[in-house]
Formats: sequence, C-alpha cells, structure tokens
Amino acid sequence: MRITIGALLVAMVAAAAVLVAGGGDDDGDAEGPTIRIRGQDFSESVTIAEVYGQYLSARGYDVSILTPAGFRTEAIEALRNDQVDLIIDYIGGELTALAPDAGIDAADADAIIATIGPVHEAEGATVLDYSPAIDGDAFVVRGDSEAQTISDVAALGYVFGAAAACFERPQCFLGYTDPGVYGIEFSDTVTIEFGPLLGEALAAGEVDAVVWNTTAPQIGVQGFRVLEDDQGLHPAQNIAPIISSAVLEAWGPGLRDALNELSALITTDDLVAWNIETDLELRESDDVAREWLEQKGLLAQ
Amino acid sequence: MIALPIAQAAVPRGIGLLEWLGDLDTWLGPDGILSSGLDTVTLCAAVMGTGILLALPPAALLAHLRRGELTATALVTLGRAVPTFAVAALLVPVALRRGWGFEPWPIFLALLLLALPPLYLNTYTAIRHVDQGTVDAARAMGFGERSILFRVEFALAISVVFTGIRVAAVQVVATEPIRAFLGGDGLGRYVRDGLGQNNETLIIGGALLIAALAATTSLVVTLLERVTVPHGVRRLRLQTASRRGSIG
Amino acid sequence: MIPALQASNPIVRWSWFVDEWDQIQAALVQHLELTLLALGLGLLLSATLAAVALRYERGAPSITAGAAAFYTIPSVALFGLLVPYTGLSRATAVLPLAGYTLLILVTAIIDGFRSVPAEVREAASGMGMSSRRRLLTVELPLALPYVITGIRIATVSTVGLVTVAAIIGQGGLGRLILDGLRRTFWTPMTIGASLSILLALALDLLIYHAGAAATPWARRRRA
Repeated sequence: MRITIGALLVAMVAAAAVLVAGGGDDDGDAEGPTIRIRGQDFSESVTIAEVYGQYLSARGYDVSILTPAGFRTEAIEALRNDQVDLIIDYIGGELTALAPDAGIDAADADAIIATIGPVHEAEGATVLDYSPAIDGDAFVVRGDSEAQTISDVAALGYVFGAAAACFERPQCFLGYTDPGVYGIEFSDTVTIEFGPLLGEALAAGEVDAVVWNTTAPQIGVQGFRVLEDDQGLHPAQNIAPIISSAVLEAWGPGLRDALNELSALITTDDLVAWNIETDLELRESDDVAREWLEQKGLLAQ
Repeated sequence: MIALPIAQAAVPRGIGLLEWLGDLDTWLGPDGILSSGLDTVTLCAAVMGTGILLALPPAALLAHLRRGELTATALVTLGRAVPTFAVAALLVPVALRRGWGFEPWPIFLALLLLALPPLYLNTYTAIRHVDQGTVDAARAMGFGERSILFRVEFALAISVVFTGIRVAAVQVVATEPIRAFLGGDGLGRYVRDGLGQNNETLIIGGALLIAALAATTSLVVTLLERVTVPHGVRRLRLQTASRRGSIG
Repeated sequence: MIPALQASNPIVRWSWFVDEWDQIQAALVQHLELTLLALGLGLLLSATLAAVALRYERGAPSITAGAAAFYTIPSVALFGLLVPYTGLSRATAVLPLAGYTLLILVTAIIDGFRSVPAEVREAASGMGMSSRRRLLTVELPLALPYVITGIRIATVSTVGLVTVAAIIGQGGLGRLILDGLRRTFWTPMTIGASLSILLALALDLLIYHAGAAATPWARRRRA
C-alpha cells in the first residue's frame, strides 16, 4: 500500500515536471544566449513577435517567445529588468513614452530614432533599423460624418473616445484640444480600453470619434473613416526592433543583419492582412506568422 | 478658455500623493473624487439592494424547508471562481449592440453575480443551523410556519446574515472599479488613468480611495447590524452555532 | 460582418479547442502552479500571523483588520504597482495573490483554535500533556475542520483571481480570456472561464475529501 502511494506520488511529480518542462527545446548548435521575445497585449503585436521569433528560430537562433503581456510601459520595463531581450515597438509611441518633450518633428522617423536611440543605448538596449511598415494613429469617425479632416471636427461638438494614455499626450487628446493645434471642444469624453471596444462604441453611437490605429481592420469592415491629420499632429509610427545590447553583441553582427533584413521586408499592407486574419477571421497569430514567413521563403533553411 | 473635462486633463507626472489629495480640484467638479465616489456608491447600493431582495427570500425559505444544501455549496464555488471582469467585459459588446450603452447593465449584472453567493450562502447556512430544539419548542408553543421562519429562525440567524451582507458589500465596492475599464468612470478612474498613463501617484491614490471606501462600507454594515439585531438575540449570539459554515 | 455576428464565432469552436490544445494545457498548468504557490505562501504567512494573534489576544483585531485592508486593494492596481519592482515575473503575480488569501486563512485558523473548548484544553493539560503535544495532538485536530473550510474558500477565490494576473502575462487561463476579449472571439473566453471554474470545483472537491480523510471523527459524528 505504502509503495503504491509512493509510486503514485513519484508518477505525479514526474508528470508535472514533464508538463512544466514541455516545450523547452535544446538546440545543439546554439552559440549565444536565448533571445526572449514578448509581444504586447494586442493581436498585431503578438503576430509581429511571432514573425520575428519564428524567423530567428529558423535561422538557428535560440529563441523563446513569451506569453504576450501589458503594453509599451511594461515592455520597456521588462527590457530594463532583463526579463525580455527583444521587443518590436512603434517608434512614435516610443518617442512619447521616452522623450515626450523632445522638440523634434515627430513625423520624421529618422529624427525619432535619433532621439530614442541614445535613451535606449544608455539603458543597455539597441534600436535597430525601422521597417517601412507603419501602424499610425487614426482619428476615426463613422462613415456618415460630415468631417473630412480633423480640423472639421472642431465645429461638430463630438463625443470623443480613446484609451487612458491618449488623454495625457500632446500628440493625442492634448493636441486635439490645444487651441494652437486643432482647438476642438468635445462635448464629452469617454475612456475606452484600446481594442475592438473602440469600434463597438463608435458603431453604437456612444461616441462620435475615437483614436484607433490605422491598421485596425474593423475600420473598413464597419464602414468607418480615418480623418486626415491636416495639422500633422500624429507622429511616425513605423515598427522597429529594440534588442538588449548584450544579446546583440553575444550573437555577433549576423543577428543585426538578419533582423534588419526582416524589418525591411514587412509592409503596412502585411500588418493589415495579419490583423484581418487574427481579429476578423479569428485565426491564431503563430499560424498567421508561419504562413507569411513560408510564403516569403523565410523559413526554408 | 476651453471647457476641458477635468479628469481627462492629465495629472502632472511629478505630483506627489499628498499634493494630489490635498488639491481641492482633485475632489470637486463633475469628475472629482466626490462625484466619482458618489457614482460608485450609488451603483454599489443598487447592486446590494437588488442582491438582498433576490438572494435572501429563497435562501431563507429553502433553509427552512431543509432543501437544496448542495445548491448552496455549488453556488458559492461557482460565484467565487467566475472572474467578474470577464463577465462584465463579455456583456459590454452585447449591451452596446442592443443600444443599452456602456452602462449600467454590464457592470451591474457582473457585480450582482458577485454579491449573490455570499448573501445566499450565509443566509442559508445561518437558518439551516438554527438549533432544531428551539424551532421545535416554538412549534410546540403553537407558532405557525411563517412565524417560525420570521420570528424565530430569521431572528436568530440575523447576525450571520449580516456577515454575508458585509462580505458581499465589501467585495462589490472593491470590485466596482473595473467599471472604469469598461467605458464607465466611478472611483476606479484614477487607477485606470494611472495605469494607462504610467502615473504611480494616481494608481496608489486611487487604490487608497477604493480601500478606504471598502473599509467604510464594512463599518456601516456593522453599525446597521448593531441597530437591527434584537437585544435578546445579541445576548444569545455566542451560544448559537452561527459561525459554522459562514464566510468572512 | 462584425466578428461576433459571424457563424465562425460561435460560443465554442471545438476545432480551436483541439488545435490550440498545447496553449490550453500550458495555461492550465500555469494556472495550477500559480494557485498552489499563492496558497502555500498564503498558508505559511497566515499560520504565522494567526499564531501571533492567538498568543497575544490584543493583537488579534489589528491583524485581522490588516488582512481585511489588504483584501480591499484592487488587484489590477496592485499588479500594476508591482511591475516596476518585480517586472512581469511570477513574483508579481504570486505576492498579491498570497496576500488576498490572508483574510480568509487567518480568520479560519483563529476561529478553529478558538473553537477548542477550554475544558478540552484543561483535560489535556490535566493528563500531563506538554503544551506542544497538546497543540499538535489535541488542538490542531479539533481546529482542522475550520482550517480546511478556510483553505477551500481561499483556493476557490485564488483560482478566480489568478485570471486577473493575465494583464501581467502570468494569468494561466486568464490569458485565454484576455485573448478572447481583445479580439471579441468567444471561444477562448468560454474555454478559459469554464476551465477556471472546473479547476476550482476539482480543487475544492479534492481538499474536501482530503479534509474528510484527515478528520474521520467528524464524519462519524455527522453520520
């Protein structure tokens, strides 16, 4: 009797250990530290993390793709705390998070990199080449709105909806309401979690305008329109990999080149296509990423 | 001069907690702490009122009839395991599509689901465990079933029923702030804005306000109990087996 | 054309359950690990606090009040506040979760030991038992039913609370719920919430039976 219980316990512990350890693959030819990648908590970022992760993995790098969590703040925090080695972020968002008061032309991607690069460098991370793929800020209204540009909204007394972060940003709510920029007087404001709820609120008429992202596939599907940013308030939002400098050095220049090559291949249309698959067709990010890489011939090694 | 909605005008990053709480503008105005707190209190009171009306009568009746012991246990387990945020968040798109707006239905229903288990379980357990001898004695004295339920069982069980009310009320008040993440405001707005804007003062300040309101709620229910519980029962309380199976 | 109105977005798409089993299994295991870690740590802390409260009667109200105050801190805020210090790590999830068990566990342990009748304690001492022996062989067994009830309630609430830690990437099944919410995709939400409830029920049943096995006299008396 004792023995059976003992054996059962051992079996349970062993099973648990197998379950916990499951998925840990040991590449024999690894010549550097594991590269931990974590996407932020929305589909596009998750898919981007899968694309970069599977791509590097196919090239023989030791990669671990972590559970998506949090947003930009947490991503930068994790990079600083050595809990992640590679994040792929939107450079305009990086600018407002790291140097909100930098007096540069926020529409100029190179100027942004010149500003955020040193900030990351000082904290032990390197910003690599940015991609032509852009997921910009979008001032979105329903299809039947009279407005064509953001300036047109000033006279309409709209109810405005956006995520909490927007309300403290000069390139967002503060810029829309600043008399020196757009000077809009909204009749009311609603704080909405970033994501499909923005579209739901707009469709339901709870709000008349929301700040979303240009690659959100629901914008086209639900018949919304992105208004023209006629005052040039929105920053450039190309995606760019930001990697721990120590990990980058350990793997040598091959890693930098590989990442830069991949970034150059991704386009804005790819981002939209991925989002349609994950958010409208409800497919999984890892499958979407693998198919895109296969199609580009990037997995064949 | 632009009519900026106050809460949406960002709180400066460098501001300290005391400075923030000490500023009169933080408290007053349509989006100040007082008004947001009132929103929270109103919703919580509505939830608790509905919850008490829905949970107490069936719990008391079933316990009196000595039926449904398993239902009570299953209910409390389910109620505690269902993530309230998921329930509320699931209901939001449904409510929006029906044209009911962001508020108050999704958050109201989610909080009601949270409040029902402790209300039901405590009432049920308390009445179920009223000493059978006492009940039989009342019956022998010629009490009708209705009188037994109301004047004997419920009276003896009332302090445990109040424990259930207190636990439910505290949980509802401490959970109501998720409303701020679902298109509403209320006292949770400061935590939400703090998290979204990476402003620690707002997160800590907001959490303190919520904790303070929850503590106050607990105190208010205790005072209500003092006023309500009959003298004789209060003396009896230590002798009843009332603590068995109650939570909180 | 809105996702939730499409036929491809039913309450549960069973093929997803099969295709994504790896992800579901990993979430389930993480959920169980987080629950057990939080409960273990919570129990350790609660036992210490309850011991202090039982020895120094005057300190008892402030200890339970402290545990109650902790319980009222919104979990979302607490996880968020810890991120700058402990990052997106397991500790960020486990520390608050353990803290939330204190109110239930400390109260249960105190109630349990206080329920031991004074006559029983005196009888044990009268029989010449040392206070340690009395604690282990008389008081602890008598207090056990209360403690086990407390552990059951704490377990079930912790299983529910773990889902919230998904916002810091440590949420077990909460990850599925959050994923579904972000995409208005019902399947992961339904599966995440259902499995979380099933896990709570299973653990509750397990502890109930373990408790019944550990306190056979209670069962005999009931029968």
